[in-house]
Amino acid sequence: MDFEPAYTPEQEAFRTEVRSWLAEHVPVVEGNPDSDENYPKYRDFGKKLGERGWLRPTAPIEYGGGGLSVDDAIVIGEEIDVYDLGIPPYYDTGGTLGGASILVWGTEEQKLRILPPIFKGEVVTWQLLTGPEAGSDLAGTQTEAVQDGDDYVINGQKIYVGGTHGADYLWTITRTDPEGKRHENLSWFLVPADSPGITITPMELMGDGGEGVGRGHKNTIFFDDVRVPASNLVGGVNNGWKVATTHLELEHGSGGRIGRNRWFDRARQRAMGLTASGEPLLANADARDRLADVFVRTEIARLFDMRNFWMNRSHMEMTYEGPQASYFRKMANLATAQSIMELVGPYALTSDPRWDTSERQLDAFMKSSIVDLHPGATADIQKVIMARRIGIGRQVREKAGKTAE
Amino acid sequence: MDLSLTETQQLLKSGVEDFIARDSPREAIIDIVETEAGYSRDAWKTAAEIGWLGMAIPEQYGGSGSSVTDIAVVYEALGYGPVPGPFFSSGVFSAYTLLALGDEPQRSRYLPLIASGEAVFAMAITEPDWAWGVGGIHMSVERHGNSYGLNGTKLFVYDAITADYLIVAVRTGEHATDIGFLIVDTKDPGVSIRRIEGFLTTECEVTFDNVEVPGDALLGGAAQAMAGFATVLRHATPVLCAYKVGGAQAVYDMSVEYSRERVQFGQPVGRFQHVQNHIVQLVNHLDSARWTTYEALWKIDARKPDVDISVHLAKAVTSEGFIEATNYAHEVHAGVGVMREYGLSLYTRLSRSLYHALGDPKYHRRLLADLIVDFDPSLATESSNGTGNHVGHTHS
Repeated sequence: MDFEPAYTPEQEAFRTEVRSWLAEHVPVVEGNPDSDENYPKYRDFGKKLGERGWLRPTAPIEYGGGGLSVDDAIVIGEEIDVYDLGIPPYYDTGGTLGGASILVWGTEEQKLRILPPIFKGEVVTWQLLTGPEAGSDLAGTQTEAVQDGDDYVINGQKIYVGGTHGADYLWTITRTDPEGKRHENLSWFLVPADSPGITITPMELMGDGGEGVGRGHKNTIFFDDVRVPASNLVGGVNNGWKVATTHLELEHGSGGRIGRNRWFDRARQRAMGLTASGEPLLANADARDRLADVFVRTEIARLFDMRNFWMNRSHMEMTYEGPQASYFRKMANLATAQSIMELVGPYALTSDPRWDTSERQLDAFMKSSIVDLHPGATADIQKVIMARRIGIGRQVREKAGKTAE
Repeated sequence: MDLSLTETQQLLKSGVEDFIARDSPREAIIDIVETEAGYSRDAWKTAAEIGWLGMAIPEQYGGSGSSVTDIAVVYEALGYGPVPGPFFSSGVFSAYTLLALGDEPQRSRYLPLIASGEAVFAMAITEPDWAWGVGGIHMSVERHGNSYGLNGTKLFVYDAITADYLIVAVRTGEHATDIGFLIVDTKDPGVSIRRIEGFLTTECEVTFDNVEVPGDALLGGAAQAMAGFATVLRHATPVLCAYKVGGAQAVYDMSVEYSRERVQFGQPVGRFQHVQNHIVQLVNHLDSARWTTYEALWKIDARKPDVDISVHLAKAVTSEGFIEATNYAHEVHAGVGVMREYGLSLYTRLSRSLYHALGDPKYHRRLLADLIVDFDPSLATESSNGTGNHVGHTHS
């Protein structure tokens, strides 16, 4: 067993190149990196990464990716991680997950046309899955697409979508055969966001403010007779559920990740500056126990993600591991928020610039740990998928969705 | 990065699986654990011939000097059985202790006996004032010329009843770390050993009534042996964790199987979401135990400087996880799970009995907190220069 990536001299040389490029191009920002003021700087940085092919390092060059090996992608990921930035550094679920789904299910023409702007970071793409009538029951969506000549006409509504700063494309699942069998009546479309008939309205949710899940505001998107060319239907007519298995497999955590344990770092950093009853907070045995609680849970979540990263990149057959990591992280974050509240007291809850030293991170986490129980399928749905994949009560185990990497 | 077992480790694992199927099936274990010895001497001899008792022991003393990960692979497979016997007490815990603290004559005399299975060793550390760590060691020795006089009681000593020798932790002075380790022959006059009853496995009470042991019985002649013993614990703890991971894997497999076979209300019980939830929680505990244990093992073999963080993490998670795994398995199995002949309760008993072994979760969480409060994360990515992570000459 080896828990570390092995680096060749070539990779170390590549690391030096990546490091110096990042040092030159990562934006210097003040205050909360997720603020509206800072967003355009990161958006710009994402485009520059995309130009180099480093936004989607492993995607083929002809589709706008970097054409790099997984090992090189790990190096890029690690170096960007030093700056505490996600990849890409802006909210783009339709690009991350939709891009991978299009890579698996798109025609060659679609891949060449649609993917380069996504993989180069030129456009932002939102995923649109949940509707008012279709939450956990995604396959029950009533957003409808009807063929009319060379176009499809879409009507319906999607909710809990995107973020604060708008999108260029919408990646969405619709019902294309109202009489068809469940799971055989759906199709995916890539819809230009400026198409006539689209209305985007902000939602008011707990945890608004800033960018990203739990921080940015979410939107309701109304489709009123929106015309989309049939060439933007990806994966085949009424084959949308298969495309969804790829999209959802990745969203449920099967891609894995290698990363630092940030919530422990943040909790410790905040606690270190505090005193309680005149003593340093972390001299208190109860406080140290709570910090250990945070560490234990977040380390397990890190290890599950690392295992999934390894399995996914090694092309091993995965079963319950993706939804397990997703379920565990959701529940671990909820419990960790509680531990941090017990650790630092009411300081966990404030974003007041005078009393908060976490750049609003803790206050946001108190809310996002609740909000995040639902996106990418609820904790309960993750358990249902795990049960099917394990084969609890059934002789035939359900297979995982097909992913690109 | 490669989180899979090596080919050698796969062979070690399947070797134990074959052994269990042939020499120690669960149906037999159910009866064997209730005998006075608690394990099969025939199976023990076979295990010794295969070499499982000498894995922690260098070749020069009759062992194979295996990596701690290789050893853990075998112990995980034994835990699946769960194969009973003083495998861990003798072949790992005592072997590592002799290796780390013993002088050359002590190593040459005793380690080959452990490797061949001829002698069984067990570690006698805790006392009626129960606490893991130096704070719980009160028994003192009296110097009588060229020998030591030993009086007192050691309690919850695993495998003492079948041991030929005990390695006894004693207080040698006033200072907290004035702790030495004495080798005591269990046949010596004044030594009495009694297996104690309860929801336990092989825990014993050992009393020393004016026992005289020779002066050369003090390991390494050292009155302050705690530093060396920390190295022993670093290596032995994740191997014990692996044994529990094997046990948790077994109860998981039993539960999934049962969820498919047991029919109530006209369908397999695994179709009910409450039952599914029990198994989902079970596998989460199992995998938490597995991956924290594996990372700790890797850090030992790779000589990582932050290895102790991972060892404490693994022991805390694994002790809790094994208990939780059996609890969820009982919820899945209901009445069948508590029937003696079904075998689930073997693991349940073990999960309780081994909860405190080498320190309970609270103890390890406290030590973990001590390390992480002041830990510099940047150290985690650097390799150590061999900062004494290794026991004796095990694997240099």
